Formats: sequence, C-alpha cells, structure tokens
Amino acid sequence: MRRPEEQKMKRMESRISRSVLPFVFGLYAERRTFSLRLRYTICEIRNTTLAKNLCHTLFLLLLAVLVCAGSVSSADWEQAIGERAWSFPRDHGSHPEHRTEWWYFTGNLADKSGNRYGYQLTFFRHGIERTPKDPGNPWSIRDIYLAHFTITDVSGRKFWFAERTSRAGPGLAFSDMKGLNVRLLNWSARMVRNVIHLSARHKETEINLELVPQKPPVLHGHKGLSKKGPGEGQSSYYYSFTDLATTGTIRTPLSKQPVHVTGKSWFDQEFGSNQLSSDQAGWDWFSLHLSDGRDLMLYFLRRKDGTVEQASSGTIIEKNGASRHIRLSDISVDILGQWKSPKSNGTYPSRWRIRVPSAKIDLTISPYVPDQELITEGSAGITYWEGAVGGRGTSAEREVTCEGYVELTGYAGNIGGIF
Amino acid sequence: MKIVTKAFLRYLFRRRSLSVLQLLGIACGVAAVIGMGLSARSALSSFNKAIEFLRGSSTHLIERPAGPIDEKMLAQLMQDPSVDFFAPVIDRRVRLTDGEAIHVLGIDPFLDRDIRPEISRAYFAEMGRSEREDHFSFFTDERSVLIDSNLAAQLKLGPGSRLETSQGVFTVINTFKNPSGEPLILMDIRNAQKMFDLKGSIDRVDLIVNDEAAFRSRWEKGFRIESKRQRQETLTALLYAFKLNLQALSLLALFVGTFLIYNTAMFAVVSRRRDAGVLRSLGARRIEIVAAFMTEIFFFGILGGALGAVFGYILSRFLTEIVGSAISTLYFFLKPSPQPWSLLTLAAGIAFGCIASLLGSVAPLIELILTEPVKAIRGRVAYRGGKRKAGKIALIGLGILCAAAIFLLFSFYHVYIGYAGTFVFLLGVSLFTGFTIMFVAPALKWVFSRIGGIQGKLAVANVRKNMGRTAVAIAAFMVALSMSIGLGSMIESFRHSLIWWMNSQLKGELYVSTKGDADVPEDFYEEVKRVPGIGGVDTYRNVQVTFRGAPVYITAINASILQRFTRFGWVSGGNENWEPVKQGSVIVSESFSRRFNIKKGDTVTVEGIEGAVQFPVTAIFYDYTTEHGLIMMDRSTYIRHFQDRTINSLGVFVDPRYPERDKVIAEVKKRAQDRNLPTATRSELHNTILSVFDNTFAVTRSMRVLAIIVAFFGIAGALMTLFVERRREFGIYRALGFSVRQIAGMTLFEGIGMGLVSFIMSIGVGTALALILIKVINLRSFNWTIFYHFTFDPYLLAGITAIAASIGASLYPIWKVYRTYPQIQIREE
Repeated sequence: MRRPEEQKMKRMESRISRSVLPFVFGLYAERRTFSLRLRYTICEIRNTTLAKNLCHTLFLLLLAVLVCAGSVSSADWEQAIGERAWSFPRDHGSHPEHRTEWWYFTGNLADKSGNRYGYQLTFFRHGIERTPKDPGNPWSIRDIYLAHFTITDVSGRKFWFAERTSRAGPGLAFSDMKGLNVRLLNWSARMVRNVIHLSARHKETEINLELVPQKPPVLHGHKGLSKKGPGEGQSSYYYSFTDLATTGTIRTPLSKQPVHVTGKSWFDQEFGSNQLSSDQAGWDWFSLHLSDGRDLMLYFLRRKDGTVEQASSGTIIEKNGASRHIRLSDISVDILGQWKSPKSNGTYPSRWRIRVPSAKIDLTISPYVPDQELITEGSAGITYWEGAVGGRGTSAEREVTCEGYVELTGYAGNIGGIF
Repeated sequence: MKIVTKAFLRYLFRRRSLSVLQLLGIACGVAAVIGMGLSARSALSSFNKAIEFLRGSSTHLIERPAGPIDEKMLAQLMQDPSVDFFAPVIDRRVRLTDGEAIHVLGIDPFLDRDIRPEISRAYFAEMGRSEREDHFSFFTDERSVLIDSNLAAQLKLGPGSRLETSQGVFTVINTFKNPSGEPLILMDIRNAQKMFDLKGSIDRVDLIVNDEAAFRSRWEKGFRIESKRQRQETLTALLYAFKLNLQALSLLALFVGTFLIYNTAMFAVVSRRRDAGVLRSLGARRIEIVAAFMTEIFFFGILGGALGAVFGYILSRFLTEIVGSAISTLYFFLKPSPQPWSLLTLAAGIAFGCIASLLGSVAPLIELILTEPVKAIRGRVAYRGGKRKAGKIALIGLGILCAAAIFLLFSFYHVYIGYAGTFVFLLGVSLFTGFTIMFVAPALKWVFSRIGGIQGKLAVANVRKNMGRTAVAIAAFMVALSMSIGLGSMIESFRHSLIWWMNSQLKGELYVSTKGDADVPEDFYEEVKRVPGIGGVDTYRNVQVTFRGAPVYITAINASILQRFTRFGWVSGGNENWEPVKQGSVIVSESFSRRFNIKKGDTVTVEGIEGAVQFPVTAIFYDYTTEHGLIMMDRSTYIRHFQDRTINSLGVFVDPRYPERDKVIAEVKKRAQDRNLPTATRSELHNTILSVFDNTFAVTRSMRVLAIIVAFFGIAGALMTLFVERRREFGIYRALGFSVRQIAGMTLFEGIGMGLVSFIMSIGVGTALALILIKVINLRSFNWTIFYHFTFDPYLLAGITAIAASIGASLYPIWKVYRTYPQIQIREE
C-alpha cells in the first residue's frame, strides 16, 4: 500500500474504532482492506436501491462506530509497524500484544457419493484491556473470543449457521502463543505437526477435519505487512494458507450421521490493532481454488458513494506456491444476478463474471445455495453473506472449473446486537 | 314478563334499602372469595413466572449437593457431547436499605445468551446503544449492575443511579424487562465472585442438555442434577405449606361468603311468604310463584355477583400485596403483580353469586310451595314451636359434629381432610344457634330488661321469636367471630412457642451476619475465637438439599459450643444428645421427623460430594425455622461430607466468668464492622424473627377482618328484614304508646342481642377452632407442634367487634325507624 492513490484512503481510515461493535464490523473491513492490493474501478453499483440500502446500513454502522470510538486507548496495544520476522509455526499462534486477531477457515468438500458441502469456521480474538483489572481471576476480561461456524449442504440446498462468544474464563476460550491452537468452548482449531485439526459442533451440525497445507504460507502486502491506511500503524500482519488438502467428517441435521468428506480449504490469519475507516459501505471478497491448481483471491471495497475503493486488489497463487498481486485495473467483475434475502431484505449480488486478463483468467461463478446469509444477532450484530460458490471458465487458455467462498457485507444492515 | 314476576320485582324497588343490603351482602360474600382466590393466584403465578424467567430455556441444572462448585468443571462441561449450552450462575441475595432481600444473579452474559436470551439481549442492546464512555463497564466496573424495570420503577432508579444495599453501593447501568414478580439484580460473574468472596467458585450451572441419561451417567457423582421439571417441583414444594394456607383462607372466605349469601337469599324468600300467599289466592300457579322467586334470586345473584367480582378484584389488589410480603419474608422476595381484570372474574363472581343464592333459597322455597295459600297469606308467622324445632336442628348439628370429628381424626391422610373437618365442624356448631338462643334468651332478657327496660326485654323476645331470621345471621356472625378467636389464639400460641424456642436455641450474645447477608470469611471466625473473653463461637451454615426428592435443609453448627451454651427444646432427652453429634451423628427437627417419619435411632441418607452418606439420628428437637425439615450436624461432619467451608453466620458466646462482657461484645462488633459484616445482638435477632413472624400472619389477619365485614352485613340485613316485616307490629307498639326513641332502643337492643349471642357462642367455638388449628391443621401442614397458650386478647377483640359490629349494623334500621315510625298507622287491625 505504498501507491500515492492510497492517500485517498486517509479520510476513510482516519477514524479508528476501539470497541467491539466496530471491531466486529472493522474486523471484516480490516481483513479485507488488508488484502487490498490493486486499484480497481469496475465494480460500480448501478442499482440505486442497493446503494440506498447500503448507505442506510453504513449509516447505522458508522453511527455505532462513532459512538463507540474513544473508549479504550488503542495506544495500549502494539501497532503493526514495519516488517515482521515471520516464524512459523509460532506465528500461527496468538499475538496478544495486538488488539485484534483472527483465524479464518473456509472449505469446499465432497463425500463419496459426490454430495458437495461447504464450511466456514472462524475464530476472532478482540482485546478489551491489555492488562485485565483482576489478573488473578480468569473471568476478568482481557479478550473476547467470537466464532462463526457454517455448513452448506449443496445437494440438500441447506445452510446452517452458529456462533459463539466467550471471554477466556476458566479454560473456556484461549489461543496459544506457541502455535495454532485456538479454542472457543467446544470449537477448536489446532495444528499438530503440519496438520490442522478443526472441530466444531453445534446441535446437529458438526465438523471434524484435518487440513494439510499443499502450498507454503502466502504473505500478503509487503512481506506480510498489509497497510490499510496512510498513517503509521494503520496496517496489520496478514498471511494465508490458500490450499489445504482436507479430509474428515461432517454432520448435518440432514445426514444425522457423520459423513466422510474430502476437499480443499483456505486459511487466513491476520492481526493488528487498528480498525475500520468511516466511509466504507462494505466489501465483496472472493477466494477461489481453480482446477488447474491456481488459487485466486480478490477483494473489492465498496464506498458509501457507490464507487469501488482504489485500494481493492487481489492475489494469485500459482500451482507451485508462487504468488503475485493483482491491481484493481487488472480485474473486471460483472454482477450477473442478484438475490434478495427474505430474512434481512438485503439484496446481494449472486452471480459474477470475473476476468483477470494479466493471468488469462475468465470465470463465471455463482453460489451453490442462494441463502448462505449469516444474521449474527448474538455475536457480531451484523448481517452478511458468506457462502460456498462454484463455477467454470478458462485459466491460461485452458478450460477450468473452480470452487471457493465469497463474502459479501454491507448489503443488509443489522446492528441490533453487538456480539 | 309474567305479571307475577313483575309484581315481585316491583317489590324490590319498594323495599330499596333492604334490596341494597341484600345486594351488598351477596357482593361482599362474592368479593371475599374472589379477592382471596385472585390474590392467591397472583402470588402463585408470579412465583411460577419467576421460576420460568430465571430458568430461561435451560433443561437442567447441575450443582454440588451443598455449597459452591469449583469453576474448573466448566471446561469439562463444555466438552461433554450431551451439553448443547451451559451458563454458570452465582445465585445470591442482597438486602436493600429497607431490609428486603433481592435476588442477585452473577452471570456471564456471553454464555447466558443461549439460556436466558431476554436478559442478555437487554444487556447487549444496552451495551450497543448507550452513550456511556465505557461499553464494558458491566465487566470492568465491579459495582455495575443491571436491575429489572419493576424494581427500578419502585425505587425510582434509572441508568446511572446508585443503589444502596447490604453489599455496598451499586451503579445501575441500565434496566431490563422482567415479566416475573421477582425483583432481580444482574451483575457480571467476576464481580459477583468478588463481592460474595467466591474466588474460583460458582453456585450452579444452567444447561441445555440433549441426552439426559448420558449426561447423568457422566456427572451424577458428587453433583446434583435437576431437570426443569424437578426444579419446578422443588421450588413449588417450598411454597407448598404456604399455598395450602392461602387455599384454606380462600376456603374460609368461601364458607363465610356462602353463609352470607345463603342468609340473604333466605330472607328474600321468607319475607315474601305473604306476597306469595296473596298472589296464589289470586290464582297464580305454584310454578309462576317459583319462577318469580327464581327471577328475583337470579336478579340478585347476577347483580350481586357482578358487583362482588368488582369488589373482589379491588380487594385482591390489596391482598396480593400482603401475600407477596408474606412470601418475601418467609421464602424469597416476590412482588406478585395483581391478576389482570378479566371477564372470567366477572363470570366467576356471577356464577358464585347465583349458585350460593340458589342454595340458600331452596329450602325456604320448598317450604313455601308446600304451604297452604291461606297460611301463607298470613305472612310472617310467629315462630311457633321454636324450642322443639331448634332442638331438632341442634340434633342434626350434633350429627354433623360427629362427622367433623371423624374427618379430623382422619386428617393424617391429608391436610385437606383436616380442612374439610374444620368446615364441617363450623357448619355443625352453626346449627346449634337456635338452641343457644333459646338457652341464653332468659338470661339475656334479664340483663337487657335491667339495662333497657321494656325495650330491652322486647328486643330479646323479638330475637327469639323471629329465630327463622335471626338464627342464620347470628350463626354467620358467630362463625366470623370464632374464626377471629381461633386464628387469633392460634397465632398467639404460635408466637409464644416461637419465643420459647428462641430463648432455648438462640442464646448467643451477638450474631455476626445472618443468612441472606454476606457470608462470614473463615479467617474472621478464627479471629473472633481469639478475642479475649470469648467463651465460644458457633458457626452456622444452612443449605438446601434434597432428601427423598423433597427439599430439606442441612444446618452445620458447632456441637460442643451449643452443648455448652444453649438448651435446645428436645422432644426427648437433654443436652447429652449432643455427644454423638460430635462424633458424626445428626439431630433432626420435629418437622423433619414427622414429615419423613424418621425416629430417633433411624438413619438418614443424603447425597454428599462422594456419593450417598448415611447419618444416624440421635435426637429430635423442636424447631420453627422451616416446615420442610432440618438435619443438624457438626461443622466437621459437614465439611467432611460436603467439602463446603462456607459460614453463613456466627453466634458469639461470651465466657460467663469473664468480667467485662460488654467490652467483648463491643470488640467483636467493631471487628465485624471493619469487615463490613452486619451484627445483631440477641434481642435484635429475636425482634427480627418476631417481626418476620408477624408479617407472615398479615394475610390471616386481613382475612379475619374480611370475615367480620361480611358478617356485619349479615346482621344488618337481618335487622332490616325484621324491621320491614314488623311494620304491623310497630303499629301496635305505636298504639300502645311506644315513642320513637323506645322503638329505636329496641332495634338497637335487638342488634346487640344478636351480637352478644354470637359472641357467647364464639367463645367456645373459637377456642375449639384454635385447638383444631393447632393440633390438626398446623401439625399436618407444617409438621410442628405449637403449644396452646391461652391469651385473653383474641376474646376481648372478638367481644368488642361483636358489640361494635352489631351497633353499627343497627344504625341504618334505627335511622329508618326515626324516619318512618311516626307515620306508621294501624291499617289492618
């Protein structure tokens, strides 16, 4: 993020929220803004109703952000400044000196009969007080942990969503500093000898998966320092495992019994201490596994005025693990269809044509199931869409299929709750 | 409408005053029943709502058999596959400045979200919307609390207000809606742990469990697991005796109310004999007469019932308050919200008014139908052969009394049989009214003629002659007065027994903290023991446990201290009973012994932390602290089996040989103050207990008043009827030269005479009732012995009430006499 255009983001990112509500919203914003690498102008939102909706949502969110700002000084927390000497597996673990951190898993799986599934398991840690009031008491709050867990049954056209929130408490939630080992109640992600074990159960939905990285970690931004604003510290550290061979079991209310599945997952980890800027409307994020072994990540930050932030960008990861950034001007996305949520009344894009000429990529993707909307009344208090998608097209002039996940925020406002 | 019916209804307008009294009589009867019934329902439904609200959507709860749980178990609990959700809870109470104990829940709003979504939603909404600087003050500020909106309204508090309690000042950060009647304060679990000195412990965990059997198999050892239904049952069982008491009072209201309506309806029929005779001789058929009477009865029934429903509803709003405060002092703080007005109440009132009226008029109607028109046309006839008839009725009464005795004898099956016996007894003695009138009339006549001359004498004769009218009113009044004496004597006896018990058990010179306030830190106990001049310190710990599926209490004490300084009321034996207690045996309260039929020498099995423990019972002692039963053991035994070192309060005994006793007390007081622990001297504690006791019986007292008001209308109605019916006699009196004053005096004497007869009867009946209440009802409901103690007050009160009420009831008839007597002429002779 060293291009002069990024100075335009200054105003946008000048307001730093310091509380959980902006955190949750900011988390996403941050996560996505961190990944902006390219300048990109194509994704204009022509639908005025959509824009209005968006503005409304934003208004509410921002209102909350402004109200919440300024409670706890973020000076207590270490900023993401300068290059980081990455050391894995240590850096898969927690970085409690930073205020916010998350571990983010999505994946596309299939069972022996060819039934396809998608899942998302995300853990967030958000610091409240760097030094808790009463350190001897485990209930004394230092961090709040949040997690979202979804399963999409593509064949059954069903989507299930659950969320968890807890403080560390007496062993209820924690994140290890030595390596990837994060737990929130009975949901956990743990890396043992290069294998990540994911486990989550909510009523009749359950996953128990093993993820093995096929490519080395991809450091985003400048060696993993992903700037999100012109100011010092307005950045975060961000890397991903874009290709994780996945095996394990999945259980849904439809299957009743655990079903053996295999497939591919995607893992993001990011940590920093600053959050949301004030004039974002939301973002569209894509993570795609192409059948020729390439992985593609794209991100578009939508502004309140309906335009797309120049900072939006992407990353392409080759089959051999080599990665390169893609500028916004190198990307073209057309929205081919929309879906209106009966629950939130939000209208989301639901079919896209994505072209990256410099990589000779031309894909048309659509959600496997239209309704993969999360109404996070309990934990985040915002409503967003995150779901399994699939499609086909060409990559390097060869026919490919692709699968992955898309995240769409800011299309339906709901800030009724905080967590 | 039939002419006959019209003629009847017209009469009602002509005799407006009588009609109004009749209407009020029915209305009061109905109001008593509806009022009591509604407030009992309010209390119980508020109670159920409170349980429901607090339990949220949890299916089970898990707790230690006694005392708090180590919070480390939560990490295991969250891994259990049969647990969907769990929420740790610290469940305590604090006292407000006015002494009310309020429920405080220490919760984790995150985990609580799935169990009690309404509460946490309120909390999170507050956190998101508030304009406060710090959004996490609920967690970070130790004094932050959320209070429910009802309590906030009552105490006039809002966000930012300060709430003073026994645990210091709280800052109210916001309020939340609480549909139940139990006021609630919420605080973060960390702050609750700190405030109640519970580091690393919680009181219980509320759970949503998907496989009960599997869960139980893994967690049963050392824990108590209660399902939603079991919890409901346990808590309802706590209120069982109280509920019974409320039901009994409703029944009492029903009894007196029915009596009154019966009385009123009977007057309606009896006073119309002549009109009926006239109409029949004019050619009206029997059926028409009956129809006309029915119309009139239903007219009164419906109107009086409706009016009574409204009165009852208003009454219930007062009674609900009293019932709520009784529950609050005895069990837990509850502010029952009055039942909303509904058409159902109206319907119930009307139905009750009509049924009771119908019952009351059946007998006289049958008599009327069978009477020859010519006889009937003579109207009201003198009560001929009264003596024989009264004797006959008394004989029936005797039969009914025998039935009552049988009921009472069999009351050990269920206390309801005891109640039935009591009411049958009252019914039986009421039938003796006529007999009593015949019996006491000569004496009364002698007394009244001395005081009031000829009017007095005539008055007694009138009461006796018109026994058909007066007996029922006297009986109703007598029942009301007997209730007053019986309940009064019972309460006085109970109070006396309680004082005796306090003097035998609560002999400490100073008490530090009491149950419901802060617990006493163990090191403070050690500290107090070392104060020079201390003879001994008793630690008191009281926990609720389950025994044979019912809630009972375990009390842990220092046996050797109590042996030295107190003298318990033992059912048998003396202080040597403490010896085995020191070795691990237990003593049980009389209520426990009776309730579970546990005798000296038996063993009781209670779930301890290592599984079931058997304790030999070495003695039984009198106790009035809980009707559920109490197992008392030495502190060492308790700690061994329950691993709970909590101390609720200390009883401090000064060494009798130490010269400066006051200094010792002052020293302990000072040290307690430094620790912010409340203290109470022996007499202060005794007074507190007595005021709790008095508060408990507030409902009962209010019912006494109600019964008397109802009976008052009975007497007034009877006097009015007498007056209306005897206009012709008044003509004769006038012809004989009686002045207005004399007639008024006669009316007054009639009223007083009726009141006196009622009172005389109630002396015996009330005493018998007191004995029944003590020896049967209380023993069956609460399983404890009250020692009958004669006090004069209830009798005096009843006597004054009798005279005052009968004078009051005569006022209106006297006023009528003054207004109409001068115009009364002899027309018919």
